[in-house]
Amino acid sequence: MVSTTLVGSYPRIGETPEEQRLRRAIAKFDEDKISEMDLWEVERSVVKEVLGEQRAAGIALPTDGQVTWYDSQSHFARHFDGVQVDGLVRYFDTNTYYRQPVVAGPIRWRENSVVDEWRFAASVAGGPVKAVVTGPYTLATLAKVDGRTKRDLVREFADSIATEVRALRTAGATHIQVDEPAITRNQEDGTLVAEAVETVTADKGKAWFCLFTYFGDVAGILDDLAALPIDNLGLDLVQGDRNWKALAGQGSEVPLTLGVIDARNTRRDDPATIAKSALALKGKVPLEESYVSPSNGLEFLPRDKAREKLRLVVESARRLEAGL
Amino acid sequence: MSLLTTSVGSFPKPPYLARARTQHSKGEIPDEGLRALEERATKEWVAFQEEIGIDVLVDGEQYRGDMATYFAENLEGCEVSGLVRSYGNRYYKKPVVVGELSRTGPITVDWWRWAQGLTRKPLKGMLTGPYTMMDWSFNEHYPSREDLALAFAKVLHQEARDLEAAGARVIQIDEPALSTRTDELDLVVKALGAVTRGLAAKTITHTCYGNYERVFPYFNKLPVDQLDLEMSNSGLDLLDRFRREPLKKEIAFGVVDVHTHVVESEGQVRERIERALEFFPPERLIIDPDCGLKTRTVDEAQGKLRAMVAATRAVKEARGLR
Repeated sequence: MVSTTLVGSYPRIGETPEEQRLRRAIAKFDEDKISEMDLWEVERSVVKEVLGEQRAAGIALPTDGQVTWYDSQSHFARHFDGVQVDGLVRYFDTNTYYRQPVVAGPIRWRENSVVDEWRFAASVAGGPVKAVVTGPYTLATLAKVDGRTKRDLVREFADSIATEVRALRTAGATHIQVDEPAITRNQEDGTLVAEAVETVTADKGKAWFCLFTYFGDVAGILDDLAALPIDNLGLDLVQGDRNWKALAGQGSEVPLTLGVIDARNTRRDDPATIAKSALALKGKVPLEESYVSPSNGLEFLPRDKAREKLRLVVESARRLEAGL
Repeated sequence: MSLLTTSVGSFPKPPYLARARTQHSKGEIPDEGLRALEERATKEWVAFQEEIGIDVLVDGEQYRGDMATYFAENLEGCEVSGLVRSYGNRYYKKPVVVGELSRTGPITVDWWRWAQGLTRKPLKGMLTGPYTMMDWSFNEHYPSREDLALAFAKVLHQEARDLEAAGARVIQIDEPALSTRTDELDLVVKALGAVTRGLAAKTITHTCYGNYERVFPYFNKLPVDQLDLEMSNSGLDLLDRFRREPLKKEIAFGVVDVHTHVVESEGQVRERIERALEFFPPERLIIDPDCGLKTRTVDEAQGKLRAMVAATRAVKEARGLR
């Protein structure tokens, strides 16, 4: 059966005063007016709200919306030894910014980055919650480096992310996703991603493991990525629309997460057109075991539009299922 | 004239205006009440620039919120979105293009004319560029990014024409998104050219926050007379590249970092100007801050501008420049 999921992030504030409580809480925390515990309470209430919105829309495999993440790079880097967090740098071609990790020594996992967050989300979700981690290749690509080769850097980040994945599995995570958006910009580095994925998945046990690429296509290395020891390959089919042609030509034996709902634009996607395009892959892709999702995290949209996109994900999956 | 001084565009809003904007958004004070305070703040900033001796003035954009949504609010075919996160706890609203873009009338001209009336020195007309407007908007109407950028270029060209007709001798078209997608640099050149074509006024484009490695070859292709660059935030590390690829137009060179609360000393700024003079002739070198100063406090912004003007004056005196 065709299922549905989110890629990772979700808008943490909306337009109503109630939906802006996290913004107010962070401002008060920054001014030392509330404690870290008070802030956690608000964060957790927003995680519940975000899970609730996904459940209400009918998303089968939700995420915690990455509500507590400052950004996808420093959220991990600050828990690794050998990496410091520096100033703001533009995040790919978005109009958002991340604090750039600066590698200043051997990289070592020091403590959990996302395990506690996942554990809380799983405790209130009433069903499986997908844990999402940033991939070693993307961490290495977006960091400021100290002269080490990229391969060495990817290997060191891979060891640290593998430790985080083991910790997630030990905590009970059954669905784990590693994000590698940077590979869409450097497909010639496909072997580095392959090596990193092998390291990260070596000890994943029975957990379902997805490699997700977004902000572009991976048409040139689709076969290589699909051959990795993963259970699911996530593809951006909006900004990476060349993936459609590659899939039509090469197919995929591994089930996919079809990132078909545009997560970068407020324009309303047409589920009928999307289902028709996906159905054209019938026989070439195991659609019955695949997921429908937005093209990337939803935090680039206002909250009301993100809610609408959730409904469009579910409607597109329903139409796709009906056509199978 | 050499080593002219200027500013990039925005200045911080004084606390009384920031409070009034919040009250206005809640309907607690009327449009005319807000306008009076915007005029007061603009007058104060123009007077400050004259007092310290800046050569080419700006109005400080006291009546603008976000540089993209300000235009979106004043264009047919455009709406404004809900809040979207930029980073950390910062959020902003984006333009949403829902139909054919058009102007119902000039957008910036009345304010420009009013602010220019406060000074005999030239005051820049300030526009947000077509590529940046496109890149920072949600697009629900046009079939492609290029179509949307060129649609923005069309209305911004009309606006630039109107500024020129009103007497503006200098028009700046900001393109902070210029380096966002380096595969679209040809589109930046095309869209910017559609705005500046046929203008007699001096044209400037400002950009910042970019990895300029792939952008460099395009600097000389940008259809403007002056390039305004953030230089100090990156430790002047762009300078060596200019040795290899000399700039064939004027450069406005950022000598104070707008992202730090620390006000640079006159000596620090002077060193930066001296470094710049190793690469650019003084008659084509304009001295300004890295970017708009609106994120600093009024005191910090004024401190940075004072240091900039004092250092420029000291360099000119030491070198006997006029």
